[in-house]
Amino acid sequence: MPEFNVRSDSVNVEHIMEQIRARIREKRGVDYTEEQIRELAAIKLEKFLDPRGVRSDLLDQFRKAMPAYEPPVLPNYSFESDTLFESHRGIIRFFRKLFHPLLKLFLFNPNPLIRALNIQAQLNTMYAEREAQRESSRRAMDQLYYELIHNLVLELTRTGIEVKNLKMRVESLSSRLEFNERRARALESAVVYKPAEEERPSRPSTPPAFASPQPAPAPPQSQTPAPQAPHPQSGSPPEGPGQRSRRRRRRRGRRGGGSVAAQFGSPGAAPQPAAGATDGSPDARPEAPPAFAAGDSAFASDDRSHATAGPAFAAPDPTAASARSAFASDDHPDASARQAQTGADDGEEDDGPDDDGAPDTGGGEPHGQ
Amino acid sequence: MKVAVVVQRYGTSINGGAELHARYIAERLARHGEVEVLTTCTTDYVTWRNELPPGVEQVNGVSVRRFPVKHERDPHVFGRRQERVFEQRHSLGDELDWLDAEGPTTPALVDHIARYAGEYAFCLFFSYRYYHAFYGARAAADRAILVPTAERDATIGLSIFHPLFRNVRAVMYNSPEERTMIQAVSGNEAVAGVVVGVGSDVPSNPQPGRFRQKYNVRGPFAVYVGRIDVNKGCKELFDFFEGYLQDPHGKLSLVLIGNSLLPIPQHPRIRHLGFLNDADKFDAMAAADVLFMPSYYESLSMVALEAWALGRPVLANGRCDVLKGQCIRSNAGLYYDNAQEFAETLKAIEQNRWLSGTLGRNGRQFFREHYDWPVIERKYLDMFERVRKAPAAGTVEPLPGWFDRRRQDLPAAEDILARLPTGPVTGHRQSDGRRWA
Repeated sequence: MPEFNVRSDSVNVEHIMEQIRARIREKRGVDYTEEQIRELAAIKLEKFLDPRGVRSDLLDQFRKAMPAYEPPVLPNYSFESDTLFESHRGIIRFFRKLFHPLLKLFLFNPNPLIRALNIQAQLNTMYAEREAQRESSRRAMDQLYYELIHNLVLELTRTGIEVKNLKMRVESLSSRLEFNERRARALESAVVYKPAEEERPSRPSTPPAFASPQPAPAPPQSQTPAPQAPHPQSGSPPEGPGQRSRRRRRRRGRRGGGSVAAQFGSPGAAPQPAAGATDGSPDARPEAPPAFAAGDSAFASDDRSHATAGPAFAAPDPTAASARSAFASDDHPDASARQAQTGADDGEEDDGPDDDGAPDTGGGEPHGQ
Repeated sequence: MKVAVVVQRYGTSINGGAELHARYIAERLARHGEVEVLTTCTTDYVTWRNELPPGVEQVNGVSVRRFPVKHERDPHVFGRRQERVFEQRHSLGDELDWLDAEGPTTPALVDHIARYAGEYAFCLFFSYRYYHAFYGARAAADRAILVPTAERDATIGLSIFHPLFRNVRAVMYNSPEERTMIQAVSGNEAVAGVVVGVGSDVPSNPQPGRFRQKYNVRGPFAVYVGRIDVNKGCKELFDFFEGYLQDPHGKLSLVLIGNSLLPIPQHPRIRHLGFLNDADKFDAMAAADVLFMPSYYESLSMVALEAWALGRPVLANGRCDVLKGQCIRSNAGLYYDNAQEFAETLKAIEQNRWLSGTLGRNGRQFFREHYDWPVIERKYLDMFERVRKAPAAGTVEPLPGWFDRRRQDLPAAEDILARLPTGPVTGHRQSDGRRWA
């Protein structure tokens, strides 16, 4: 995916920053602020998002916070048939029992009272036991409710995060879609190149020499393997007089005369050129068609490592090309291409401005001195 | 026409932002008329110790008159008073005490201005925050032109300075953000003002190869130029750059130029070259792929302008409104708010040479249009003409009396600062249709 796109020479820094931020958001997934990220990082998210882990730990915490239920010791009494006549003195106890028939005869009968109080004491004991049992079962149910509500909250949180993620993905996809639509419109409006009649015979139709399965005849006295770089004459169709010089002129024109914009190309976006014989340069890529209409073509710029790889597009009108081209940077520089094309970076002694003050833009020439 | 340039320090060896700004302006205006610099005998902005003899001398063809500082700065007293006026409810007297503690307290300089103001057509006061500007502008209010060099710090919230911005004849702003901030805090829209800034003597033919050879610097690199200090955002820069170094695709090294008040991270791709002369500095900037400007507070980044003059893009701290505004208006630099943005923007500049080149070209154009010396000189001369034709505004707002000065009714300066508008100015255009510098 291209890192960001820049259209024309009139760079809009705010637009570029928006694209860079969108890319960061896309990478990150959710557009949290730095503070939020730090806050989230401080929390063990996995612990919260794993119900199994959460359940055991938090339930223990809950149990610690709520100690086991012990029924209270309620005051009660026992009332039997002789309770009314009890005394720690034996003689008093004797006389009370002795005069009990007189009490029943002349005053009142205490037996119904004794029976009622006895039943009441039994009822008190029974109700206390039942209350303790009920309280215990209620507390057990509270634990279950707590677990249930906690797990619901967790699920809701996780769902919320997922919704946020999905929302961001939808936004990202819609922006990509919008970009692709724009790009498609730009490509649709581009003029299709048709090579001139005189150039058609000169364009070789066979694959380049290094890709040809036909082995080149080796000289009998040489036992060394064939060089990797293809020789310009091996395997390529014979060129007519002036064809190579014309091609060189075209290439020189693209390098020097075109705008900076026109010298960058996207390997993916460019139409594949017909295979042609290489000219022995370190750049073994097949040469691109000589010219494409620069109209609204989408150009993909590469980094300096790709700066000299064959331009995918060549703009015949440098001003038009630079004014209306879109560039996309390459995310993965090719180190070997860099070494082959621009010379080792470490060896550069000068990266200063060009005559016009613009930084060196590659385009097949080592920037330096 | 005789113009007085009043500044807290002056000399070829003084490289502070406002002081260098004042020297450049004085030397340039000396080509159009007589210029006299009124300054102090100090070279140290921390202690204000008198180190140069009082009297008149010539510096690069400009007459410089020096006055002794009455007392050095006591850091403890200054710190205590600053804490009070910045963070607590206070009185006007507290602010005046703070100004006296800040210095450089030079009553002789103010007396000279009051006595001889009539000899000068205009008095240019640099740096509103110091003693000389506050009292000097009051002494010559009918010909005072202020170059505030104001940053977004709590000093702008002090009440004593608000009449200063309203009572001068004109204000030469460094940036639209500075103007917005000053107008919001003081309501001086009626005072003539223009965004000017300052130019720089950037060599037309820098020698990046010479720099690489001299300092054995190889490969692509980013450069930071300035004092290496926490207040300049260098600690954050180191953190972010160390994060960038983790990226295997990143090839840039970091070259640091300037005196360091911070430990430099030990890494083979981070090099500290110390203080360099101007030629080497410009060669280094021309050799660099990008200039870092990590400062949080700037009224105008001269280093960024110099990088743009050399066709180099700038990567600035987006939390500094001025730097962000400059990047947006010039379309010549990117900015970052956090480590991810730092890495991505740096990657964009490093890997997309077309973008880097276009930013650099935009910067060069921006510098030529707004900060080239003829443009700067013309703005000053036009302002002189405008002020000369306009009638003087009136009387200076007097300082309150003894009782009013001791009334504890002023809010903390930081509270006022927090209420000021933030963000870069991007939509305005100058009277001639060009975008703001």
